[in-house]
Amino acid sequence: MKTFRSYLHIFLVTGLLGFAACKTNINTPTPSKGTADFSRYIAVGNSLTAGYADGGLYREGQLNSYPSIIAKQMQSAGGGTFTQPLFNTDQANGSGYLKLAGFNQDGTPKTEPVTSNLAVRGKITVPGFGDVTLYTKYSGELNNYGVPGIKLQHITYAPYGNLNGYFERLLPGTSPTNTTTYLDFVTAKPFTFFTDWLGNNDALLYATSGGAGDVLTDKALFTQLYNFSIGKLTATGQKGAVATIPDVTAVPYFNTITIPAILAGVQKANPAAKALYVNALVSGATYAPREATAKDLVILTFNTGLIGTPVATPAGNLPYGLTPYTPIENKYILDENEVALTRDYVTSYNTTIKTAAASKGLAIFDAYTFLNNVKANGLIVDGVNLSSNYISGGIFSLDGVHLTPRGYAIVANEFIKAINKQYGSSIPQANVSSYNGVKFP
Amino acid sequence: MKKLILLLFAIMPAIVLAQGFQVNLHGQKQIGMGHTGTGLLQDGASVLFNPGAVAMLPQNYIQAGISPLFFKSDFNPSGTTDQFRNTNKIATPFTAYAVWGPKNSRWKLGLGVYTPFGGLTDWGNEWSGKYVLESLNLKAIYIQPTVSVKLTDYLSVGGGFVYNHGDVDLTRAIPLVNSSGQTGQAELKGSGHGFGWNAGVFAKTEVGLTIGVAYRSKVNTTVKNGDAIFTVPGSLQSSFPQPNTFTTTLPLTSTSSIGLGYSPSDKWTVALDVNFTNWDVYKTLSFDYAKNTAALQDTHSPRNYKDGWSYRSGAQYKANDKLFIRAGGGYASTAVRDGYVTPEAPDANRYYFTGGLGYALTKNLDLDVSFEFEHLMSRTQTNIESQLSGTFKTNVYIPGLSLAYHW
Repeated sequence: MKTFRSYLHIFLVTGLLGFAACKTNINTPTPSKGTADFSRYIAVGNSLTAGYADGGLYREGQLNSYPSIIAKQMQSAGGGTFTQPLFNTDQANGSGYLKLAGFNQDGTPKTEPVTSNLAVRGKITVPGFGDVTLYTKYSGELNNYGVPGIKLQHITYAPYGNLNGYFERLLPGTSPTNTTTYLDFVTAKPFTFFTDWLGNNDALLYATSGGAGDVLTDKALFTQLYNFSIGKLTATGQKGAVATIPDVTAVPYFNTITIPAILAGVQKANPAAKALYVNALVSGATYAPREATAKDLVILTFNTGLIGTPVATPAGNLPYGLTPYTPIENKYILDENEVALTRDYVTSYNTTIKTAAASKGLAIFDAYTFLNNVKANGLIVDGVNLSSNYISGGIFSLDGVHLTPRGYAIVANEFIKAINKQYGSSIPQANVSSYNGVKFP
Repeated sequence: MKKLILLLFAIMPAIVLAQGFQVNLHGQKQIGMGHTGTGLLQDGASVLFNPGAVAMLPQNYIQAGISPLFFKSDFNPSGTTDQFRNTNKIATPFTAYAVWGPKNSRWKLGLGVYTPFGGLTDWGNEWSGKYVLESLNLKAIYIQPTVSVKLTDYLSVGGGFVYNHGDVDLTRAIPLVNSSGQTGQAELKGSGHGFGWNAGVFAKTEVGLTIGVAYRSKVNTTVKNGDAIFTVPGSLQSSFPQPNTFTTTLPLTSTSSIGLGYSPSDKWTVALDVNFTNWDVYKTLSFDYAKNTAALQDTHSPRNYKDGWSYRSGAQYKANDKLFIRAGGGYASTAVRDGYVTPEAPDANRYYFTGGLGYALTKNLDLDVSFEFEHLMSRTQTNIESQLSGTFKTNVYIPGLSLAYHW
């Protein structure tokens, strides 16, 4: 009896502790690099690569850039350290950015700029070009070469290091004395693997300016530069992954404020209003006023309060946007023909990208197809419903063009899938649910 | 004949524990024998296993037991090397039975209080499925008064009425983050009740084989006006009105059992049970909120459970007048179809082994201990609703202890 009791005691004590300690284990294969070598990975690209978000480049966005997420995942498959040109913590807000301040009565969001703790060191005027904002210089190791605003068109242009403050901050020289091209800069130090997501701005900047403030890069020039840059990036047999250019007209920047919604708002106050008018592309460089349709895209920053305000015309004061004599200005609208033109160029650029990548055996993340699919069908990841909607969609940041950390994590995983597929590697994917969407006050 | 029956037992498939969130820990003697008991006369646990057998019990019983349950689940998201394990929390299924009837009478009364359904899992707020589930604590406590009557010396029947008290406490993250980076959270917490019944028939045959058939009805348990607590960024608070309540109904499924018992010698008792669980009734998990907004809609998550079978066997060896040694095992088919596996019940086909010891402390008092190891087959799934994709693997360790006073 006594023996039984002591056994019972042991049974209970060791038993309870023992079960608490044991754990179930799932065996997962060790990540492998396949036929690629991730020991020095560099990221080539524009704002999306830099981690730009909410209309600015700031430390938190940099920390959540897709290249840094990819690099973190690569580490278990032979990846080396990945250094980004981070803003210091006391200048963490970098260029400044937009934050959500709340919502208006009607549910529309209010944003406000963050202007403290910036990394702005000054402004210079470059003759023949204009003002360039300069940022606190970064020196040291560099793996993420993302430069917000850069077009493919700029990568072989020697003075570009003087015209883009984000590029200037990475260079040793001070504007306007820089002469290193972007392509030379990124390839100066040996690397074993690259991602390349250049080309968006060659179409995007035309689109975001409503087709008024910028131009689409010539298709042949794009092809020539893209092939040249891929040739240089793979010159010593490096492997890499490229991404296609998203349909820049599909982002929330162009799909949040719509013509029908504006018209409905106008008609609420003034039932007599029949239509909105825009100054739209007819052909070539010819623009003419016409009635707006749902196919004309309004930019996110358009102030709808302008509609109906008096505009002086030879026929007297007329309400803005409501007559053929006072159409909504071109810069606020990517009209139907401009949309078609932009899409045509993006499609052409993407053919170039895919052809070049295929010829070098590079991995391809087809961002165009992926993001259009998200727009059409939404996306569910780990129990979170995502879409291309502004703010509520979870993927696009407050500027309506760039991504949230969650969006960048999704992109990083798509890159990883493409890399794994092409090179037989098994880089583990990132945990998307640990990255956030838009922050709410 | 005896050899034939033994052979029959030997070739039967091994047994089962449960599916979904059913918990089959109803008596230490029975656990030790692989959860068999429908066709046996062991003790007061017959109130649950087979109310029809209660009148055949040779004595009156008051007993209680507890089976602290260690649920160890691991999730490996597809395409990653991450492993997320649920944190250590010990669920405590318990049982209490009383059986009483005058000596040599044809009837007995019984009362059972037990926990046939439940779930306790806490994945924490850092894991990849946090927007699906952070933690779930589900408890059902059945209270079952019972009457059993011996129709002949060989045949008895019985039935009981079931009152269920259910508690649910579920938390999940909401994918809305505030300015300091904190993720929103929902907690649904409430209790409710439901009603059901139990019935069974027990027969002794001339060859010494005992046979039982039992049925436990479905118990729809409705939680009304449970608290729905949402923690979200301030600017979105109006979209998640507080205070708010929810209503949900959980069908706690019916179980049909047939069991055999046999004593090939004075020292040995062997048993076999087959259970059919009508999980098919669990179609959706719905939460109906008292206050809805555009952002806060009622939810209807498909579950589409399928009926499950379990096969159980066990044996008891009487080492001497005081000591009993028990062993058993079983197999249960999952209730959860492909595409519907969720972290609340990462269900899979499962097998288990049990063992137990019984000791007669005095002529009237039994001490029984049991142990069970249960293994759920690893299952790689993408949930249709949440797209949560990965492999779940679960082991369950269940020690247990009970005291039974009989006279």
